[in-house]
Amino acid sequence: MKVLLKVFEAVRPTFEQGKLKAFKPLYEAMENFFFAPSTTTTTAPHVRDPLDVKRLMSMVIIALLPSIAASFYFFGLRMVAMIIVSYAAGGAVEVIFAIVRKENINEGFLVTGMLFPLILPPALPLWMVGLGVAFGVFVGKELFGGTGRNLFNPALVGRCFLSLAYPKTMSASWLEPSRDLAGRLLQYVDASSVDALSSATPLALAKQGEFASLSHQLFGSVSGSAGETSAIAIILGGVFLLLTRVANWRTVVGILGSFALLGGVLHYAHPEKVGPVLWHLCAGGLLFGAFFMATDPVSSPISNAGKWCYGIMIGCVTVLIRGFTGYVEGVTFAILLGNIFAPILDEMVIAVRIRRLRSEG
Amino acid sequence: MTETSAWVIFIAAIFTNNILLTNFLGMCSFIACSGQIRTSIGLGTAVIFVMTMTTMLNYVIYHFVLVPFGLVHLQFIVFIAVIAAFVQLVEMFVERFSPRLYFALGIFLPLITVNCAILGASLFMIIRNYSFIQSVGFGLGAGIGWAVAIVMLAGLRQKMRYSNVPQPFQGVAISMVVTGVLAMAFMGFAGMVSIQ
Repeated sequence: MKVLLKVFEAVRPTFEQGKLKAFKPLYEAMENFFFAPSTTTTTAPHVRDPLDVKRLMSMVIIALLPSIAASFYFFGLRMVAMIIVSYAAGGAVEVIFAIVRKENINEGFLVTGMLFPLILPPALPLWMVGLGVAFGVFVGKELFGGTGRNLFNPALVGRCFLSLAYPKTMSASWLEPSRDLAGRLLQYVDASSVDALSSATPLALAKQGEFASLSHQLFGSVSGSAGETSAIAIILGGVFLLLTRVANWRTVVGILGSFALLGGVLHYAHPEKVGPVLWHLCAGGLLFGAFFMATDPVSSPISNAGKWCYGIMIGCVTVLIRGFTGYVEGVTFAILLGNIFAPILDEMVIAVRIRRLRSEG
Repeated sequence: MTETSAWVIFIAAIFTNNILLTNFLGMCSFIACSGQIRTSIGLGTAVIFVMTMTTMLNYVIYHFVLVPFGLVHLQFIVFIAVIAAFVQLVEMFVERFSPRLYFALGIFLPLITVNCAILGASLFMIIRNYSFIQSVGFGLGAGIGWAVAIVMLAGLRQKMRYSNVPQPFQGVAISMVVTGVLAMAFMGFAGMVSIQ
């Protein structure tokens, strides 16, 4: 560590006054990655709490570890390539913005760059991974001023963009998960190996009346987006997030509760369109979205009542999209709609509260 | 198309075929009047009311005046005249009978005359051959869809006060970007119910 510190001390002048002044943000990001910064926060969000933004993000990364491990296990070394491309492409956008606007590089990208490959089909061409994450970071975050000021979840904006721009590739790039005991830990499998390419996710098969077994879904050996297949891994990470209070339990309970309730009612009314509740809860990206995407503190409502409404809205819209539209999966759209409604929900909660205070005199 | 129920058309006009987010009609007042939630609600309510009434009026005029007399080629002028006259009438009525509502709506009522979404709704009704009941459903749905979109944008723009938007993107540009993301999210409803 001391050697590293000396290296940083030695090159600091070149970045602060010298020739490489333009690349100062890059230098600072590298330095902060290894050492705690000696300065105070200069940009929002400011939180008076030992849990600062950086550690908040680290918590999310830790919570993601089980899902990442599961995605390695089931889909092989291709995940490494996807994560590297995601970090490289999104990081490039981030660095360019930081250099042009002369600001620091935000910590938030560590999470976005990791979340993004986990919500993509594992056999997606790598250039699409790069394009999607660059679009998500650019439009979803940097245009609004970076971490803490974005209106939408950047990873979801990127995924939504990809699924609307390349619907065919997005719905045909699924990999059949490995069923060996050793998994695919040392194999690189992509769309070129035809035998591994799978046709459909459990949700798509369910539209034809074919249901994958619940135990496979819990364990994760089903086709689907890289990080969303293993329900156990997600719940493990999600409970960690809830216990550390990084994710708000109101949002999660709102989503899953309303999903189960409306799903149950619709299952009895239209059994051919909406499958059994427990099966649907574990299928597709619902759990991953509920624990990791919807709970993003920046793009969700601030008030507690707002969080309840937000969760309930996402859950209900997911059921409706899954059951009654042309799409088989609706979590992305549902959470993005939730982000869009979030400010209005907060505003309504505040208006109700003001009215109540007035009537109390 | 006549067999689709008015209820389905109503839902479709709000979600899947939102007149603003899929046809991008009425953008001018959408961008201009979405700075504050309060004003956006006022404008939204006015649009709902005027859109429903003018589609009904235009339906009657089109099918009982223009078609029998072979004056269909005049439909644009006639529709615009009807909308303008109706808005003026409503303004006078509201001013006379409910001054509070009149002041709440303020400048937005006359502004609606030039809102292309209103004319668009009437024209869609003709192109898609709606019956009278369907037209009512469509007009009401399209109005509510427009109002929902503008209120959402107003909320987001209010939240954006805490954002640090790059100089070239400030103002209208970032509102357009946000509208694009809104439209992307609404694409999720595609296929739920469909009209042309």
